[in-house]
Amino acid sequence: MRREAILNAAIAIALLAVPLAAQAMGEPFVITLATKVAILALAGVGLNIALGLGGMVSLGHAAFFGIGGYAMAVLAAPVQAYEPLMTWPVEVAGTKSMPIIWLAATLAGGLAALAIGALSLRTSGVYFIMITLAFGQMLYYFAISWPAYGGEDGLSIYVRNGFPGLNTLEPLQFFALCYGVLMVALLFSRVLARSRFGLALAGARQNPLRSAALGIRPYSVKLTAFVISGAITGLAGALFADLNRFVSPAMLSWQTSGEIMVFVILGGVARLFGPVAGAALFILLEHWLGGFSEYWKLFLGLALLGIVLFARGGLIGTIAGREVAHD
Amino acid sequence: MTEPVLEVRNLQLSFGALRATDGVSLTLCPGEIHALIGPNGAGKSTLIGLIAGTLKPDAGQVRLAGRDVTAADAAVRARAGLARSFQVSAVAADLTVLQNAVLAVQGARGQSFGFFRPALADAALRGAAEAHIARVGLSDRRTIPAGDLAHGERRRLELAMALALAPRAFVLDEPMAGMGPDGAREMTALLDDLRHEAPILLVEHDMDAVFALADRVSVLVSGRIIASGTVAEIRTDPEVRRAYLGEEMLE
Ligand SMILES: Nc1ncnc2c1ncn2[C@@H]1O[C@H](COP(=O)(O)OP(=O)(O)OP(=O)(O)O)[C@@H](O)[C@H]1O
Ligand SMILES: [Mg+2]
Repeated sequence: MRREAILNAAIAIALLAVPLAAQAMGEPFVITLATKVAILALAGVGLNIALGLGGMVSLGHAAFFGIGGYAMAVLAAPVQAYEPLMTWPVEVAGTKSMPIIWLAATLAGGLAALAIGALSLRTSGVYFIMITLAFGQMLYYFAISWPAYGGEDGLSIYVRNGFPGLNTLEPLQFFALCYGVLMVALLFSRVLARSRFGLALAGARQNPLRSAALGIRPYSVKLTAFVISGAITGLAGALFADLNRFVSPAMLSWQTSGEIMVFVILGGVARLFGPVAGAALFILLEHWLGGFSEYWKLFLGLALLGIVLFARGGLIGTIAGREVAHD
Repeated sequence: MTEPVLEVRNLQLSFGALRATDGVSLTLCPGEIHALIGPNGAGKSTLIGLIAGTLKPDAGQVRLAGRDVTAADAAVRARAGLARSFQVSAVAADLTVLQNAVLAVQGARGQSFGFFRPALADAALRGAAEAHIARVGLSDRRTIPAGDLAHGERRRLELAMALALAPRAFVLDEPMAGMGPDGAREMTALLDDLRHEAPILLVEHDMDAVFALADRVSVLVSGRIIASGTVAEIRTDPEVRRAYLGEEMLE
């Protein structure tokens, strides 16, 4: 078996084993940390499709993450207020059911990515980075000035949403859900990378002129990938809001976009488990260094600089070596 | 005369004050190799870009198989059978030779939006791709990333990818550029073979290759075609001698 596959399996097992051990030792906080890792990794898996597979350096993925979070709030808030979601043209009730919320968050993230991507992909390079950042900031300021959902203060959803057959208030069960979603997304991302679409996306990233000369429009391929990417990050946003039982404009801030990108770069751009390794390392560093020094982000910044300069494959690349061209 | 496969009429394109393409008209007929020669900066690559659809003309028309494709983008023209190569090799460097060829086949067939089945597991795609690779003699380099190929091999991979388009016309921008004499000889033989597949508009600086292959030669200088004719006519055209051909090439 290839070294990277073994490493990936080890990471997957470790992420599962830690909360199980924590449960046995009565450490619910550790379970919450692991859940956070799984959810943030999911957001990174989304970004990695745009950034790693498609070469689209989006600094606006907080938009999709936040939209997923707010999609959850929009659906769940009316239930706790004993109000319908809307009354016109037909009366629609809110919902506390995770499957419906996930679907809504995925669709909302994908639609937002369609709109933002359709405009942003007319540019490239630094302009693409700036325009995605600008769209993210636009949504951030919109959320701040949206009183119905708490404006600047955000909005609490007091009871975690439910999933048929599970007790989501139980930390380990909610972790298992998030972990399951992450694994499905990873599997999908792997299948996608090897599919005809994945090949077309690799072509569009590496040589758009050649792609066009082969009858493939790079714009359409990249936009499709951007939509898939935004949809997955949107789903992560809904889970994150459910973990915290709270949404606020912070989810939409550019710092969030930056952090999601940090997960991917730390772990290894375009590496399947890169976002998982990156998110885990980030949360661990935040936890340890954060307790040890207020300036932990300075150290994180230095570590990132080192990775970008000396270890291009991130954590995964450093341990597993150069990516092997399959077949 | 038979209907031309490719025809450009009075194409014009300026970059600012520079008239890179200044009223060019030419045709490419079935079975022929039409060479386009001219000094550096004459506008040959610009003309190729206009024909392939990566550049949009200020005026004029591009017709492929009798159809006006001036408004169509590069991808549409490629799927209509216009196979181009670039002056500087353009392949997906991190993909293997086989993956590049599969990409070409799925592109030509408009089958790039499959999200689940592995591309290389598709027997039809893979079979076609391997046949094109074999045609250019790269079968034993199948699993090498295209970026690791030698220059001449990468040139041949580009031709394999062009073949995947089931081309009606080849438009090749200096396929011999940067090749040694052996490479150039091999490429000449390969092009001579490809003309049976589809006619070739050949931009080339290598005069041995041009004189060996071309049925017709057009000479482009400062964005204008100053002469067009058979190899013999072009060799003796005084204006061409003055504008372009060094005396030593004409012996
Ligand atoms: N995108 C562009 N913007 C501005 N000027 C350009 C552009 N592309 C080409 N040119 C100019 O147009 C002229 C024609 O360039 P072109 O590349 O078509 O020449 P060429 O005949 O292919 O030359 P060579 O033999 O060196 O490949 C040159 O003067 C070049 O500098
Ligand atoms: Mg040129």
